[in-house]
Amino acid sequence: MKRWYECGSAEHALSRRQMLGTLAGTAAVGACGLSSLMQQTVAAEMKKQNRQVIFIWLDGGMSQFESWDPKPDSEFGGPFRSIPTSVPGVHISELMPHSAKLMHHLTVVRSMCTKDPNHSTGVARIQRGDPANRGVNYPYLGAAVTKLLGTPANGLPPYIWIKPGSGGFIYQEAGFLGAKYGALALGEGKPPIHIQRPDTISDADDAARNELRRLANARFRLDRRESEVDAYEQSYDMAMQLMKRKELFDNSRLPAKDIARYGTHPLGRHLLQARVLLEAGVQFIKVTSYHWDTHGDNFNMSQQLVPQVDQPFAALIQDLADRSMLDNVLVVLMSEFGRTPTINSRLGRDHWPDAWSLALAGAGIRRGNIVGQTTKNGAFVDGEGYDVGHLFHTIFSALGINSKKIEYKNNGQPLPIARDDCEPIKLALA
Amino acid sequence: MPTLLAAAKDPTDVLDDLKPAGPKATVLDPAKAHLGKTIKNERQLIRARFSPDGLHLAAAGLDKIIHVWELETEKKHTLPGHVTWVSALVFNPKGKQLFTADFQGNIRAWDYVKPDSQPLFTITGADRQITRALAVSNDGALLLSGGDDGVVRAWSTKDGKPAKEFGTALTTPVWQRVFKAGEAGHCGGIYALAVHPDGKSFVSGDQFGVAKHWEIASGKLVRDLDARLLYTRKEDFIADVGGVRCFAFDAKGERLAAGGLSKAESNAFCPGTPAVLVFDWTTGKALTELKLTVKSDGPINGLRYLSDGTLAGFGEHQSAATVCAFWKPADKPEPFHTVSAQSATDLDLHPDGQRLVSPLFVANGSGGNGAREKFKDKYVQNASQIALINLFAKVDTKPAKPVKKA
Repeated sequence: MKRWYECGSAEHALSRRQMLGTLAGTAAVGACGLSSLMQQTVAAEMKKQNRQVIFIWLDGGMSQFESWDPKPDSEFGGPFRSIPTSVPGVHISELMPHSAKLMHHLTVVRSMCTKDPNHSTGVARIQRGDPANRGVNYPYLGAAVTKLLGTPANGLPPYIWIKPGSGGFIYQEAGFLGAKYGALALGEGKPPIHIQRPDTISDADDAARNELRRLANARFRLDRRESEVDAYEQSYDMAMQLMKRKELFDNSRLPAKDIARYGTHPLGRHLLQARVLLEAGVQFIKVTSYHWDTHGDNFNMSQQLVPQVDQPFAALIQDLADRSMLDNVLVVLMSEFGRTPTINSRLGRDHWPDAWSLALAGAGIRRGNIVGQTTKNGAFVDGEGYDVGHLFHTIFSALGINSKKIEYKNNGQPLPIARDDCEPIKLALA
Repeated sequence: MPTLLAAAKDPTDVLDDLKPAGPKATVLDPAKAHLGKTIKNERQLIRARFSPDGLHLAAAGLDKIIHVWELETEKKHTLPGHVTWVSALVFNPKGKQLFTADFQGNIRAWDYVKPDSQPLFTITGADRQITRALAVSNDGALLLSGGDDGVVRAWSTKDGKPAKEFGTALTTPVWQRVFKAGEAGHCGGIYALAVHPDGKSFVSGDQFGVAKHWEIASGKLVRDLDARLLYTRKEDFIADVGGVRCFAFDAKGERLAAGGLSKAESNAFCPGTPAVLVFDWTTGKALTELKLTVKSDGPINGLRYLSDGTLAGFGEHQSAATVCAFWKPADKPEPFHTVSAQSATDLDLHPDGQRLVSPLFVANGSGGNGAREKFKDKYVQNASQIALINLFAKVDTKPAKPVKKA
C-alpha cells in the first residue's frame, strides 16, 4: 500500500533508482548512441545522487561579531581583533585563525536577516526552512534532503545526527514525510547501544528473531496507516546496517594526528566522526553543539567557544578538500540567529535575527566568497537580506534539486520544498 | 562638558566633600550608605578608580579612551587610551602615574593629570593575550600584570622594563586548559591581583578559582588558597565559568576577600550565585562564604574593606538591578545593608574612606532580543554611569518647620 506521506514527485521517483540501475542506463545510452543531452541528464542525476551534506548546528546562536563579521572599530564590536584570511581583503575574527586560512574554500553569508528571535520556535523554524503555515509539519532539513535526493544504496542510514546527550531514532524530524525519514541520533557520537550483538546469539538465531519481528510488524500494520511502524522498522534496519559497519565507530582506527587536528572536545570528536561517516557515504549528517547562547559573559565565553568550532571545522574542510570530496559534500555551519550588537548588563549579547552570518562550503557553492554586508557598525544588513527560505533554496540548488519546480505531495496536496516567495542566493552558488 | 557636580540631583551628594578645601564628610556609617552622585558616559565602562591623593577619578572601558575627572575643578579630560577595550586600570600609590591595560595584552603608563597626553610608555604584548588585572607594589616601584597566559609579570614603573615573572606562561589555548591541583603556576588565565598591605607579597586569582600567594622579593610561590567555589564546569558545559574576579585585603592584612560567582547553571547565560570567600591570611583557610539576600545572578566584580571592618561588594545581574552589599564578615554571611543599583563591573574606595565609586550599567532601551528592524534609527549602544555610594547618612536638607507660637 502506498503511504499518504510518500512523495509523489517525478524527481523522487527518479532518485529512488538504485545506482546500478543508473549505471546500466548510462551504458545503454552509450550503446544506442542517444543524444549527448540525455547523457548529461544522466550524469547530472548521478552527480546528484552522490551529493552529501554536513550540517553543523551551533545551538543558541554564535556571535557574528566574534566570528564571521567582526567590527572591531565600531561601537558594537567586541574587544577582539579581525584578522586577514586566505582571500585578500576578507577579514574574520581573530578567534577563527584556522578558518581564516581556508577562506578560499568558503562562502560566508553576512546578510542573513530572519524573523524569529526565540530559540523555542526559532530552531524548528530555521531547520524546517521557515515554511508558510499550510497546516502541516514540514520536515527538518536532513529529512527533506534524504527524501529529495533519494536514499543511496550503500546500506547506511541516510540521516545521522551526532549530538551531545542521548541518541535514538528521532522520527519527529521527518514531519509530514513520515517517521521513516527521521534522524538516527548518535548520542555523544556513539552507535546505538545494541550494535554489538552478543556472542551468544548466532547468525541463525539473529535471522530468526528478525523474521519474527517482521511478521509481527506486518500483522500490526494491516489495519494501520501511520508511519510509526515504518519508523520502527526503519530504526531496526538502520541498526542492522550499522552492525555490519562497526568499524565506523572504532575510534582506535583513527590516526592520532587526526584526533589532535580536530580536538578531543565534543565538537572536535563529533566532526571527526562525521568525516568518517561522510567517507563511508552517509548522505546527511547533522552535528549539533549546545550552549552557544551567550547572554552572559559573552566575550570570555566566545574566547572559549569559537575556537571549539574553528579548529575542527577547518580540519574538516581541509580533509574534504584533500580527499576531493568538496565537490560532492555540501557543508553548512550556522545557528538559529546571531547575537545582539548591544552588550547587556552581564557583558553578554542577546538574540539577534536582524543581521547575522553563516558559512557554506563544498558542493555547488562558490569559493572564497563573501555574500552581503552589514552596516558599518554591524547592527543591520546593508542591502539585500536573506531569510531562511533563501537559504533552503540555496541548499537545494547546490545539491542539484530544482527547488522552484520540485514539490512535496502530502496526501495529494502539493507543497513547495522551500518558501515560494524566496529565491536561491545566487551569489553563493558556484 | 558634564561634570560630577552638574549631574547632581541630591543636594546632599556634594562632591565638594572630595575637594581638599571642601567640607569633610560626617561619621562613617555603612548601614546608612546610599547612592550618591552619578555621571553618565556614552559607552559602557569597565573600571573606575580614585587616585591615591583623592583628587582624581579615572574610568575606562568599551570606548577605549581614559576618562579622568579632576575633582577639585570638576573638569574632565581624556587620555587617548588603547586600540581596544580597556580591561584594567590602576594608579601608582606613589607619584602621578596611571596604568591601563587592554584586551590585546598592552599596558600603558600615563601622567594622568595632563589632558590628552601621550603614554609615558607602552608595554606591547605584555601578557600575550588579554591583560585582565593590574596592581602596583606598595612602594610604587613595580607594576604587576596578569592575563590569559597565566603568569604574573612585574615591570619597572619607571620605564616599563620587565623586572620579574611569577610562574610560567601557559601555551595551551584558553579553551583547552585543564585544572590540576598543586601546580607551581596558574593553570588558567589570571583575573585578579592584589598586593598585601605589608608590601612583601601579593595574591593572584585565576579562571579556575585558585588564588596563589607570591613573595615579591624572591618570586617564590608561598601557597595556594582554595577559592574553587568560584568556578563551575558541569559535565555538559563546554566552557569554564566564573573564576576569581576580584580581591580585597583588610587594612591590617589579616583577611583576604575573593569575589566571583559560584554554582553556575550554564555556560551560556552563565547564571549563578554571587559569592565572596573570606580567608584568614595567616592560615590560608576560608572562614566564611558571604551571600546576597536579593536575586542576582552574576559575579561579584569589586570588593573593598572599609575602615570599620565592613566589606563592600558589588557585581552584575542580568537585565535587572542588583545591589552593592555591605557585610560584617565576622558576624553573619548575609549583608547588613544593601544599596540597590544596576550592575557594576568594579568598585573602589576613596582615600577619605567615605565613598565608593563604581561604573554601573545603563540600558539605553535597545537591549533584549531582536528583531529591531523597525527601530533601526533608534538602535543605540548601552551606556554607563559613574556612581558614588556615600558611606554616611543622608543629610536632611529640608528646612526646619517653624515653631508655632502659643
